[in-house]
Amino acid sequence: MAKQALSFKNISALYIFLALFAIFSLWVPDTFLSADVWRSLLDTQALTALVAVALVIPLAAGSFNLAIGTEVGMGAILVAWLLAKQSIPIVPAIGLTMLAGALIGMTSGLLIVRARIDSFIATLGMSSVLLALIAWLSDSQQILNLSPSFQKLATDQLLGLTYPVWIMMSAALVVWYLLERTPTGRRVYATGGNIEASRLAGVRTSLVVVLSLVACGAIAAGAGVIATSRLATGDPTVGPAYLLPAYAAAFLGSTQFKGGRYNVWGTVVAVYVLATGVKGLQLAGAPVWIPDLFDGVALLLAVGLAKYQRTAHRASAIRRVLRMRRKLAEGPA
Amino acid sequence: MTAPLLSVAGLTKTFPGLRALDGVSLDVASGEILAVVGQNGSGKSTLVKILAGLLEADAGTVEVRGRDGRVPSEHEATAELHFIHQDLGLISMLSTVENLDLSHDLGRHGFLPAPRREEARRATELIARFGASFDVGMPTSELTAAERSIVAIARALEGWLRPDNVLVLDEPTAALAADEVSRLFTAIRHVAEAGAGIIFISHRLDEVMELADRVVALRDGHVVADVPAAQVDHEALVRMIAGHDLARANLERALHPGDPVLTVRGLAGATVAHVDLDLRAGEILGVSGLLGSGREHLASLLFGALPRKRGHVRVAGRALRGGDPRAAIARDLGFVPADRRTAGLVLDMCVRENLTLPRLAPLRRPTGRLDAGAERNETRAWIRKMGLRPPEPERPVGLLSGGNQQKLALAKWLRNEPKVLLLDEPTQGVDVGAKASIYELVASAAEQGAGVLVSSSDAKELTLLCDRVLVLRDGFVAAELDRGSLNEAQLIRESLGLSGDRREARFATTSERSDG
Repeated sequence: MAKQALSFKNISALYIFLALFAIFSLWVPDTFLSADVWRSLLDTQALTALVAVALVIPLAAGSFNLAIGTEVGMGAILVAWLLAKQSIPIVPAIGLTMLAGALIGMTSGLLIVRARIDSFIATLGMSSVLLALIAWLSDSQQILNLSPSFQKLATDQLLGLTYPVWIMMSAALVVWYLLERTPTGRRVYATGGNIEASRLAGVRTSLVVVLSLVACGAIAAGAGVIATSRLATGDPTVGPAYLLPAYAAAFLGSTQFKGGRYNVWGTVVAVYVLATGVKGLQLAGAPVWIPDLFDGVALLLAVGLAKYQRTAHRASAIRRVLRMRRKLAEGPA
Repeated sequence: MTAPLLSVAGLTKTFPGLRALDGVSLDVASGEILAVVGQNGSGKSTLVKILAGLLEADAGTVEVRGRDGRVPSEHEATAELHFIHQDLGLISMLSTVENLDLSHDLGRHGFLPAPRREEARRATELIARFGASFDVGMPTSELTAAERSIVAIARALEGWLRPDNVLVLDEPTAALAADEVSRLFTAIRHVAEAGAGIIFISHRLDEVMELADRVVALRDGHVVADVPAAQVDHEALVRMIAGHDLARANLERALHPGDPVLTVRGLAGATVAHVDLDLRAGEILGVSGLLGSGREHLASLLFGALPRKRGHVRVAGRALRGGDPRAAIARDLGFVPADRRTAGLVLDMCVRENLTLPRLAPLRRPTGRLDAGAERNETRAWIRKMGLRPPEPERPVGLLSGGNQQKLALAKWLRNEPKVLLLDEPTQGVDVGAKASIYELVASAAEQGAGVLVSSSDAKELTLLCDRVLVLRDGFVAAELDRGSLNEAQLIRESLGLSGDRREARFATTSERSDG
């Protein structure tokens, strides 16, 4: 068992991290090895990690959530609008924003289980609706004049780490516990694994799907709140950029630790491995388009490698059939 | 006499723990219609799969057209054996013309505009050769079942380089009504008259009698008869299929049925039209019938996997609402569906997780988390009890053999100590060894007071396992056989509706319904 746990296949991201670390330590030692770089990396990626952790929940339940980027954007604009335009105090504003995220998730969930729209399409449609709502709410303008005390949410520190890092860690801990240590989590994974078999085993699969999207929506909206606090402005364009990094991390994470299952810690590690690679390249003077390229290639490689084994299996089956047909043809000889 | 078009000799195929085919030999000549009959598990489908090249035989030869002793080129050989499977392989959204078009090798013409009128005319001519005329521009989903079969046959034949090829029809009439069957048979006879050799595989013995020139019967992988159709009657066919040695396995239980645990009145839904039944604690009740008789949906309907249209179900005296598996589980029902891979198990999850999924509550600690240690111990105990191989709790279920998967699909319900256990095809695609342990698990569950309902297309299984068997036909209970009159031949006869006096039972049920 121990051998399997340390195998490359199981924790490849950690080995890749070590390799990246070694390469950039030798290449750009002055900048790459400075504590400030690492502290800022931890802080800036905390938001991506938080969004990716949120995404793990519906993915584990077998639903795509393509609206997750615009859910972040909606949270970012809504909290700014509540604070600046409606003058609502900080705590209720954050609460209302997360509630709105939960309602958005519930709407997507109901479209999937009640209207029986495929999750891919339901959330794609939802993401476009949210883009329109964001533009309407913000007039496509940045919302300024947020109070300095609201900005503290993203900038204040505890034990040397910023609040967003702590928030991300706590969210990851809670989601991990629920998914992997409780009966609820077992039912979430079962629903994602085989929805009909789970229904016949007495799992309330519709409820599982809806609640997974509700939880995801609420956390994504919370991430939006932090984004606004960090920028000190409600920016209507902030959301969609989180979509691809979150999916890249969740897919890459699913190849780690749990052998093909979407999981929280694999996802968090994947976020930071990808970020380390990007950061190293940037420090070494790579151009600005490197992050997109790196994320995209890493996603394709990770998922491609995970599928490789199954495809290889199928290919050998097809070869057997072809051999048989050839034998049939040669039969009368 | 001319040499056969297709000659199969000494075909043998072994699956782990199961000899599916054992030295099977048969010939088909030009213009001949050969029927292959046999029960489920007799080796029919393995034979078809080997002919189609989907499976590789362990030993034996398949020779196509030995007539002129010429070795056919590879291209010809692939064009000489044609298969029409039960599902026909048509794309239902596309029209007849388009479906026929799919088998054409177009080369670079594939990028030119299709000559629509020309194609439609050719398609109309083609189906006319089978005595059919319908709108070839309609999506095939809107055709009748017989018309769809004709499209499939036309497509299979269209590419033939010469008329004397071999056409294999695998259960082509399963979805057809009686008048449609005769249209299909007309088409098949046309093909044979043109010189083709036909292999016709069917459950329905009366059809076999009507259509075939010769009958080959398979049982347990052996050819047990190869005779001209004119020399056999229904009774002889049934004996060939069922065999004479109807040995009972060592599953004898003391028969002392307890209180009624399941009472069903006027149940309807899917193919089930009207079913009444009573099941007592400790009893094993079998349900037999052909595909489409309601047998394949009864267990799902009782459990709530399928929506219920009408009727009342009571479990130990308390009403159970339809279409709600959770309610059924709360009333101590367990259900092993026919398709374990899509409905019985979560293949990506491990043995432990699948076993405990239906009932996680007892493993829940006060803090809300699962008691991992208790779960592992319980899983190990069950693995021992069901003899799971390999005995690894953490193994993904998708990597287990069919028999071991089926044991697990059963064990996850036995763990709940169900009052009523509903089993749909409990040993389909399962090797002999696992079959025996599944029978033992089922028998011991009944011994411990569960009422067991076994829905099965395997007559041997029902005679081995059951105290009583209901035979369904067209959605109604057509007959009830108790232990005294229960044997394979009788079951097959009743399923096919061959004994006239039993028909009255069905009409009695119908009139009861109109009274109630």
